[in-house]
Amino acid sequence: MKTNSQETTASIWVEAIRKDRKATAGAIIIGIFLLIAIVGPFFVGDPHEPVGIPLQPPSRSHLLGTTGQGQDVLAQVVVGTRMSLAIGFCVGIIVVMVGALIGITAGFFGGWVDSVLSLLINVFLVIPGLPLAIVIAAYLPSGPLTLGLVLVITGWAWNARVLRAQTLSVRRRDFVAAAVVTGESSLRIVSREILPTMTSLIVAQIIGSTVYAIGAQVGLEFLGLGDVATVTWGTNLYWAQNDSALLMGAWWTFVPTGLCIALVGFGLTMLNSGFDEITNPRLRLERVWRAFLGGLGRPPEPSTPVVRIAE
Amino acid sequence: MKGRARLWVASIFSLLILALLACSDHTQVMPEGVLVVSQEQQASWIRNFNPLTTAAAARWPTLAGIYEPLFVYNSVKAEYVPWLGLSYRWLSGNQVLRVETRDSVLWSDGKPFSAKDVTFTFKLMKQFPALDRRGVWNFLADVITVDSNTVDFHFSRIYIPGFDEIAAQPIVPEHIWSKIEDPVTYPNENPVATGPFTEVRMFKNQVFELGRNPHYWQKGLPKIEALRFPALPSNDRANLALVFDEIDWAGNFVPAIDRVYVRRDPEHHHYWFPLTGSTIFLYANTTRKPFDDVRVRKALSMAIDRQFLIDVALFGYSRPSDPSALSDAYASWPKIEVSEQENWVRYNPEAARRMLDEAGLVLDSEGRRHLPDGSPLEFEIITVSGWSDWVRACQVIARTYTELGLKTSVRTYDFSAWFQNVLEGNFDLALGWSYEGPTPYVFYRWLMASETVKPVGEATTGNWHRYGSPRADDVLKAFEKEADPVKQRDLSLRLQRIFFEEAPAIPLYPNPSWAEYNARRFVGFPSAENPYADPSPNKFDRGECLLVLTSLRPR
Amino acid sequence: MRYILRRLGFYLVAAWAAVTLNFFLPRLMPGDPATALFARFRGQLSPEAMEALRETFGLTEAPLVKQYLTYLGHILRGDMGISVAYFPSEVSGVIATGLLWTILIAGTAVVVSFAIGTTLGIIAASRRGGWLDNVLPSVLIFVGSFPYFWLAMVVLFIMGFTLRWFPLGHAYSDNLTPSLSLEFISSVLTHAFLPVATVVVATLGGWLLSMRNNMVSVLGSDYVNLARAKGLKPARVIMRYAARNALLPSVTGFGMALGYILGGSLLTEIVFSYPGQGYLLVQAVRNQDYPLMQGIFLMITLAVLGANLIIDVVYLWLDPRTREIGR
Repeated sequence: MKTNSQETTASIWVEAIRKDRKATAGAIIIGIFLLIAIVGPFFVGDPHEPVGIPLQPPSRSHLLGTTGQGQDVLAQVVVGTRMSLAIGFCVGIIVVMVGALIGITAGFFGGWVDSVLSLLINVFLVIPGLPLAIVIAAYLPSGPLTLGLVLVITGWAWNARVLRAQTLSVRRRDFVAAAVVTGESSLRIVSREILPTMTSLIVAQIIGSTVYAIGAQVGLEFLGLGDVATVTWGTNLYWAQNDSALLMGAWWTFVPTGLCIALVGFGLTMLNSGFDEITNPRLRLERVWRAFLGGLGRPPEPSTPVVRIAE
Repeated sequence: MKGRARLWVASIFSLLILALLACSDHTQVMPEGVLVVSQEQQASWIRNFNPLTTAAAARWPTLAGIYEPLFVYNSVKAEYVPWLGLSYRWLSGNQVLRVETRDSVLWSDGKPFSAKDVTFTFKLMKQFPALDRRGVWNFLADVITVDSNTVDFHFSRIYIPGFDEIAAQPIVPEHIWSKIEDPVTYPNENPVATGPFTEVRMFKNQVFELGRNPHYWQKGLPKIEALRFPALPSNDRANLALVFDEIDWAGNFVPAIDRVYVRRDPEHHHYWFPLTGSTIFLYANTTRKPFDDVRVRKALSMAIDRQFLIDVALFGYSRPSDPSALSDAYASWPKIEVSEQENWVRYNPEAARRMLDEAGLVLDSEGRRHLPDGSPLEFEIITVSGWSDWVRACQVIARTYTELGLKTSVRTYDFSAWFQNVLEGNFDLALGWSYEGPTPYVFYRWLMASETVKPVGEATTGNWHRYGSPRADDVLKAFEKEADPVKQRDLSLRLQRIFFEEAPAIPLYPNPSWAEYNARRFVGFPSAENPYADPSPNKFDRGECLLVLTSLRPR
Repeated sequence: MRYILRRLGFYLVAAWAAVTLNFFLPRLMPGDPATALFARFRGQLSPEAMEALRETFGLTEAPLVKQYLTYLGHILRGDMGISVAYFPSEVSGVIATGLLWTILIAGTAVVVSFAIGTTLGIIAASRRGGWLDNVLPSVLIFVGSFPYFWLAMVVLFIMGFTLRWFPLGHAYSDNLTPSLSLEFISSVLTHAFLPVATVVVATLGGWLLSMRNNMVSVLGSDYVNLARAKGLKPARVIMRYAARNALLPSVTGFGMALGYILGGSLLTEIVFSYPGQGYLLVQAVRNQDYPLMQGIFLMITLAVLGANLIIDVVYLWLDPRTREIGR
């Protein structure tokens, strides 16, 4: 376990992605979207500005047509990509960071620390995510930051649970026991001995959490719980619905955005499948599930057999 | 792999069954003579037909169909229509209101209606303040039955506008409600009432139906058999049902209605959006600088291109407000004349800039304006995240102001959070509605009466911008005591003049009264050609829908 | 047994914590039910109504701690109070109106999706590299990656509105009264088809992929190799040896998915105007209907905890290793 730690992990991933056709496809899709998110907005106009007759089908002047308010759909999709991916990835990373902090602390120290933190984790797993999100959103003015915060609060516990379980099992290994006996500081043991064994799991979790974050964000915004004044994929769909796009047959106002969301989710899931070889297969079930349930507005999955066994 | 094969066969088989089922008829056939109405959006219905409890305000048919008021106010014709009440007059120097009630009205259980039921209803509201949603006991001293056809309302002070609150009160039968222990929480599952539709023919959580009152006092009416209310959880979903002929009468916001609805079936799909709703204002918090300066408020008003805003936010369904700020519900009231020069309720960006300069909000080299003391100006305009028309309007306004050098951003809140901020005066700029009555009294009272001003931090239901005008106070006081319609018109003109000079708030547009109807199965809806009443099912609060319900007939 | 008791104790504590959070969270929101109701009407109510509303809902000024104790007492007695949004109905009554329908569509969807997905997963794993293994999972994942409401709305529009193959909403035809007649049952089935089918399509990929992956790792294990070496038929190896064990983690997922059906069918119900209880929650939150919110939270919490407990028991039975730890 310890032999293939830091210096080789990066190359293992690259190798894993390259080896697996699906992962390669996923990486390419995500790469393209990242490129769009970074440079795309410089090439399109102001997505708020009404530029033409409302609800025009795609044409040469507006490649993806116009919205119910005469805004350029292409501009909205591109600018929305930046915002949605930014929220998605940031939330994905923060969710796992919070989860790791609490989960690893609980797993490493055990005893009453573990009891208290486990209870906290499980309570957050049990509380339905959507109402919690609405309640939190009600305190704060709606916007990307609020939305991100909501997603972190409702999403961290699952990661914490898995990482706690993983820490528990690593903690029992000989090399960790040896480090404890030699009197190394807890921080050092965690960062030098335990974390490296979990890097691949954490990366997989970040990807999974990003899928969850994007799905849940789009769902909340579609319900009108986000800031509908900003341009994101979720608000694009909200406005499309608001302008009766479906009734008018204005497919161009919602198909491109839906397709983008699906492609990013698909790309991330495929990318993750490349890590399957180096992550614990037992954990995979939950990750996949979680991404799916997240997209449905369901709270993440709490239970894992690993926990049971480790307990 | 026998098991697998069996599974496949089973699943294919069940799919076939479903496909067969699916091939049956799915255009829902409506029973003859049943009018399908969509007014409020609910995921499922709860059986409650209590007309008195405030919370049940949502249950539309309870207030306009099952129970009836003394007088129905027709906001299109601006007149009271005698209903359970036949006539009224003021006695004892306008201290007493005497109402003659209609003879030969029966409750739906066959018992006769009398003035005693009216007295009982009002007494009940005194006993249970939770039922007094119009606050009539703020100005009433007593209600006395004179004889079986006459009720006297004794006022504690002269308050002519109080008539409207009394007129609109739904009346309940004494012989039923006197036996009810707690009328506030009474669900009244099988209502006994005087309205045209009183019989609950079916009640399921996804749909309910109200049948005709067998003893309705208007002989031969209603012509329709029953009302049906499907539960539709969202506006969008209700619109789909409307467009596909599943709903006959609706009061929803339909975007681009000519394309979405009318064009599908121009012969039967109709709408009429008379501008009789409340006026939508941009409220500037006058307790904050620089909004305390009337010149700034006028400048902010002139900066807004209202027509553009209405096109963008409201699909062009309204018109820009005029200097009186009154909606078309007051069409019969005279309006003040103002010169183009001094009119601040119109688009005039140059004048807006000039006026801001005059107010001392000078432009710096970067194109931003400052207060005279040098602090930069930055506003927030707050609105509700789900209300798309307002969000769009706010976006237009924010962009306009930013171009003027007043950096403005839009903040959206969930509605209770938004409302809390507005009530407590915790905002710079906010969109809001006006309060309406049959005379402009209520309208102007909540815009500029000193008594409605509360300090910042204390919640107030109206006058969120916190503006009190001593001049207006005098006129409003006179209005309360004036029963003569001609003199009321003079007072209205004076109020309009004060509003125009002091600019307490910035009127944007009168809200349309949403009404879509499908003439495939029913005829007799009000329309622009036949404007006999307000066409919207949303006008339940004062029983106005009764006018429509008793005029409709099956094709 | 001790293991179960310990878990039970833990669930009790979790339930208490959740119930407590349910109490305090909504009360921290700005505004109260009266203002929420008032604001919802956008000026259609006269200002005086606000006072009457406050009076109606009996918004108490009692200290929060005291309210909390009363609330705990009521919950223990199963009394969930009176709803504000559906005043003056009992919360239990309001929840009951939609509960069965939600269980019907969401439960069916989970069971069907699990059954089909898992079967496909077994097939995919047993024919690694085949068509089913290469293409189908990717296709299903792709379909599942669309936002669920998006998929559902497009399907509803095409199948319901344009083609008229399926009804547009509700649980059964508005013209029927619930009965055990064939007509009614077929009406329920056709009305449930689209909601169930969309959820199944959207979640199928997850079950398939997880089952396939579990199968793949189990198929590589020693005891399966041993079974193969013994010359058992491949079908027998796959079904009796591999699938049974690979199913173990999926059972967890299945149990959890069942636990979440109460909270998870929200978007389905909105899109298909299905009269379940998922949408109630949104309405409760938006109306600041504390009692209803708490009631629904409680139901969801109990469902999730109950599912957890059942999984614990099932695991105990399926996986002997758990029993070891229990001691």
